[in-house]
Amino acid sequence: MPMLKYLIIILNDASVSFCHYESAKTGKKEAGMISYDNLNKAVAFALKNNLKVNFLYPRFRPGKKYEKLIEDVEHVKIVPRKLGGVYSDAITVLEAGDLRKENKVTGTENIILRLSSPELKILPAAVKEIARKGGRINLVIKDVENFGDSKISEYRKLLAEISGLLIKKSGENSIPEVNFLTDRLMLESMNNCDAGITHLTVAPDGRLYLCPAFYYESGENSIGEIRNEINIKNRQLLELKYSPVCRICDAYQCRRCVFLNWKLTGELNTPSRQQCRMSHAEREASGNMLEELKKKNFKGAKGIEIKKLGYDDPFEIAVKNRYSIQEFKNFNS
Amino acid sequence: MSQNTTVKIDRPGSWEDGRAKNVTFVVTEDCQLACRYCYLVGKNKSGRMNFETAKKAVDYLLREEKFLAEKSVVLDFIGGEPLLEIELIDKICDYFKLKSYELNHPWFDSYRISFSTNGLMYSDKRVQEFIRKNKTHLSIQITIDGTKVKHDTQRVYPDGRGSYDNVLKNIRLWTSQFPETSTKVTISGDDIPYIKESVLHIWSLGIKEVNINAVFEDAWKPGDDELFEEQLTELADEIIEKKLYKEYTCSFFSRTIGHPYEQNVNWCGAGKMLAFDFKGDIYPCIRFIEFSLQNRKGIIVGNLDKGIDENRLRPFLTLDMVSQSPDECINCDVASGCAWCQGANYDFAETGTIFRRATYICKMHKARVRANNYFWNKLGRRLKTDLRETNPDTCQC
Repeated sequence: MPMLKYLIIILNDASVSFCHYESAKTGKKEAGMISYDNLNKAVAFALKNNLKVNFLYPRFRPGKKYEKLIEDVEHVKIVPRKLGGVYSDAITVLEAGDLRKENKVTGTENIILRLSSPELKILPAAVKEIARKGGRINLVIKDVENFGDSKISEYRKLLAEISGLLIKKSGENSIPEVNFLTDRLMLESMNNCDAGITHLTVAPDGRLYLCPAFYYESGENSIGEIRNEINIKNRQLLELKYSPVCRICDAYQCRRCVFLNWKLTGELNTPSRQQCRMSHAEREASGNMLEELKKKNFKGAKGIEIKKLGYDDPFEIAVKNRYSIQEFKNFNS
Repeated sequence: MSQNTTVKIDRPGSWEDGRAKNVTFVVTEDCQLACRYCYLVGKNKSGRMNFETAKKAVDYLLREEKFLAEKSVVLDFIGGEPLLEIELIDKICDYFKLKSYELNHPWFDSYRISFSTNGLMYSDKRVQEFIRKNKTHLSIQITIDGTKVKHDTQRVYPDGRGSYDNVLKNIRLWTSQFPETSTKVTISGDDIPYIKESVLHIWSLGIKEVNINAVFEDAWKPGDDELFEEQLTELADEIIEKKLYKEYTCSFFSRTIGHPYEQNVNWCGAGKMLAFDFKGDIYPCIRFIEFSLQNRKGIIVGNLDKGIDENRLRPFLTLDMVSQSPDECINCDVASGCAWCQGANYDFAETGTIFRRATYICKMHKARVRANNYFWNKLGRRLKTDLRETNPDTCQC
């Protein structure tokens, strides 16, 4: 079973969101900041448990005392566009507005791009730009819940268009990386977010959460204080093995967001129909792209096969063909 | 006829082999009784369904295709005490018949109307008129818990008086109108010593099928399992000696229980059935309505204006045994027939999930298995045949 590898620390209530949730829009510098004592406790916890840290930054620098403490631990800074040029080692999160302002992706080669469904039309231009720089885009779609039939259909078209762009830019061993299309070309097993398993979050209130989204949804979602023995109740429900839909699925690029699961279906281990159909549209597009790449003698996806499926939602299979008890016992997360 | 077919004890009747869609109308959250074991912890006088909401529910049922593809339907009226709203129920049934006829819906000639009632109003004129009108499509189950002592231990009025005498007055009328009927008995702790005499008493009243459940709550004390086993063993002896197995059915004894799991199926049908409350909200079953829950909020999977939110149903429809059971249960040698209720699981789980099975009943199930083995092995010896068999672990609720 995977173990805890890193900690996410939200420095301020208005820290940048890098995932499916929205953080606080405004935040006074002092009011929303994690206290120095709590940050100290969180950093010490990371150091004692060999954890790396992802620090989520607000739109301003946190002050020298805080920065000194941050540098004590191995970490990644995740920053909003405004701090994009300030730290050389940061990953920048961009929103649609950031791209429109400058009409291009700037500053960094490795970006997290958060877009809502109406904003996806700017994606091809962003992919072109990042391909030119040899970087990587991690796309986060902000409104998964809105992906009904018509949006799924539009998304499929967009995936085909971007696949075309990527194929053109690919070499014999490399291809510009966009998570939703190229990750599946490299994966032989699930590459999920694993919130609560490989990482936990410390919020500005100094308490632990499965991930930042649970904090922003409600402080009542805390799983407890920072301490050596962390007991997550019903933790097994975070594991792939305990998800009847996901454990039979091979859309390995899916992040399997437990927050979205919980919000849309009421259960951490059950993905929504929207999530499954989007991930399967991506999987299918990756498969089509792989076929084209193979024609070009692409060698960057050795051993990977993406078979055609007769369904677009593994829920249909989970309901029809129950996993056997033996399959469950043999399952390796 | 083989010896097997003369043994009726574990052969309850079931309409359409249990494949019909079960739809529950919670017509009222009120009841005349305050039974001590009742899971409806939030009974009240204000939660009453009106006809407009009920009509919308019927319209929805006849319109919706995706989640209601079954060829037959059971319209289950439940409360609180459903007969408090017999006039409303009559109107709902008439409306269902009329609309399903107009729409040429397959359910028009493939439906059942079902009640579980405390029986206190059974002889009421309005109830009797309803029975006359709907008899061929009707199943009514009056709950009588056993002997007067057993029944009055649990099934009491709010002032503490037992209800046995008032229920008994209507039993003869009921069994004369529905001779193949059954009753449901609940065991919850203090009443264990009365199990044997209660089953025999119910049969003596002409009710040939007794379905018994031990409660899923954390209600069991050390030693309860031994007492339970003793009662069932004594009952087994009585059934064998008096050859009662030829004529009567009791859910305690089943050839399919007490084996390791063979199939990964969910015991409970929550989500495959649906329940409507007075507000027009839709639930996976009555146990997810707020007035049924001690510790958690209700789980609503839709409403009559917007229909079913299929995302909210997905957990219920994919829920299987392995994903909700502790390893001890998955690997249990006598697991089959060990029951659970999804609503109770949700209510008692450490977090708000349906994917965690409450196991308070474990020792009681094992006691039942031992008594069950005793029964079938002994009866098999008497009949000179092997009566044991294994079977899929399907829900009997």
